[in-house]
Amino acid sequence: MRPLRIALTKGRLEKDTVKMFQRMGMDCTALIDKGRKLILPVGDGSLEAVLSKAPDVITYVQHGVCDFGVVGKDVIIEHPGSFYEVMDLGFGKCRFALAGPKGKPFYGGYQSKTIATKYPNVARTFFESKGMDVNIIKIEGSVELAPLLGLADAIVDIVETGSTLRENGLEVIEDIIPVSARLIVNVASMKLRKREIEHLLAKMEQAKEENK
Amino acid sequence: MKRYAKITPEGNRDQLFEECEARNRTEDTLTKFFRGRGYHEVHTPTLEFYDVFASDSYGMPLESVYKLTDHKGRLMVLRPDCTAPIARMVATRLKDAALPLRMYYRQEVYRVNPSMAGRSDQVAQTGVELIGASGKRADLEVIALAAESIQACGVQDFTLEIGHAGFFRELAANLELDEEGRERIRSLIEAKNYAALNDILDQMEDSPSVQIMRALPRLFGGGEVFGQLESMGGDQMDGSIAYLKELYESLKGLGLEGRVLIDLGLVHQNDYYTGVIFRGYMKGYGDVVLSGGRYDRLMQEFGDPLPATGFGINVDSLVRAKLERQEYCPPKAPDVLVHGLPGYEIQALRHLDDLVNQGLHGENSVFQEEGEALAYAKRQGISRVDVVGDTVRTIEIGEGEAQ
Repeated sequence: MRPLRIALTKGRLEKDTVKMFQRMGMDCTALIDKGRKLILPVGDGSLEAVLSKAPDVITYVQHGVCDFGVVGKDVIIEHPGSFYEVMDLGFGKCRFALAGPKGKPFYGGYQSKTIATKYPNVARTFFESKGMDVNIIKIEGSVELAPLLGLADAIVDIVETGSTLRENGLEVIEDIIPVSARLIVNVASMKLRKREIEHLLAKMEQAKEENK
Repeated sequence: MKRYAKITPEGNRDQLFEECEARNRTEDTLTKFFRGRGYHEVHTPTLEFYDVFASDSYGMPLESVYKLTDHKGRLMVLRPDCTAPIARMVATRLKDAALPLRMYYRQEVYRVNPSMAGRSDQVAQTGVELIGASGKRADLEVIALAAESIQACGVQDFTLEIGHAGFFRELAANLELDEEGRERIRSLIEAKNYAALNDILDQMEDSPSVQIMRALPRLFGGGEVFGQLESMGGDQMDGSIAYLKELYESLKGLGLEGRVLIDLGLVHQNDYYTGVIFRGYMKGYGDVVLSGGRYDRLMQEFGDPLPATGFGINVDSLVRAKLERQEYCPPKAPDVLVHGLPGYEIQALRHLDDLVNQGLHGENSVFQEEGEALAYAKRQGISRVDVVGDTVRTIEIGEGEAQ
């Protein structure tokens, strides 16, 4: 049987996951010195990892070509799908927030508002829950620019410390939802390889507790 | 400009030769299995009114169905599911029929999937409905049928999980949740989202029901699940668990131990299912291959309250597995090419009929010249050419010459 396969979101989440694996006593040499290989063995060979962009982690797990994935909650909210979200890994913490020009009231008035965001689903769901009808503009790069240029009244974005907002004269109007890294599992894998998966989950849970 | 003349709509595709063969064989195997056990084929329209699928307990989301309107402007859909139309049919056409009714279907369902997600919008489904029968005998029959029919298709490594829709409902009733709270908890259990589920349950007063709810996403596995539940004080939970346990024991008797898992966290989105629910998975396919359960309230929506149960199999997933195992090959060259000399075209077709009746695979030559026919045979790897004139002349084309 092939090793269990985990898809990791490249970048910070990948590094935090490697640290977690190391605390679990797994050999991560191949994962650190990647070279040109795309599928990388972890530990004693019962697990292998692939690195990919965040939304692809979800795609791979949904299709079952990877059994697990480590991905931010932000990506899960933006790309919902059918998979099991079994663990909050406790790292990669930040939040979704609605932000706008400092001192300018956002709510009020009957004109419809324009929102710039990289996360149109998150923004749409948030305003739907408030019963507000807004225009959403998808921006791929620095979303903070949109209200400064007068394209949007406010933005919906990931906020970590808020310093980028402050530097651009913006402030958080309202927090939407907290975000952190999650472990997701393919539905069929969970059932077909239950024992191996539960074993790994227990070890990860332990490593997470130790790091608290 | 005919910009889209050469492509198929996303989520749809052409199926060629061996794929068609694999699909036909799979459906034949399944339906033969069903027919042998008293099920009869029904076929419902590809187009139905949206209302068929818009019932309260059913709630097929508007976004996930293909819609069009008829000449009176009424909203119609491409059938997104086979069960609701059959329920409609039974409640109308078969209203006074003797019960129970055993029916099977082999038809496509159409669903709108998210763009570029690599999912098929058109899925071949084959399944059964057993309508007008409640109780363990009926449930056992249908679950056994599901497991055995999928094995009959050559799927060895598969797992069937069973749960009970009533269990979550009873548990939720103990917690005095409102509709919204219940739905939030349900969706978290379905997604096995332990973290968020705990956050909600932490705000509730601790009780055995809260503890069981907390453990629900993890309560899956073999018979030990019942023990785990009992240790949490869930043994006096009532009927649904006792029933599930009884069913599980019976399924073990059928030789399905190891293939059947209990998943108490199996909680479907709608209230469609009322009793035992089950889903099947197979190795190498990341999604549900088979899904079914008891739906005792659906018939009522069509004015004919009858208990019912059934399941559907995603035939495309079985076909994909068969093609990956290379059980089917691209078409092979026929055994013989029949070429009629000018004026002997009819005799040539008759000769071809004779050969086919003898069990050979043959082709009729559409070429004017015998030389062209021979060249074609060589190119296609056809080893024998029968030239029909007043007599039939057989030319063997050697291996060395062919190709």
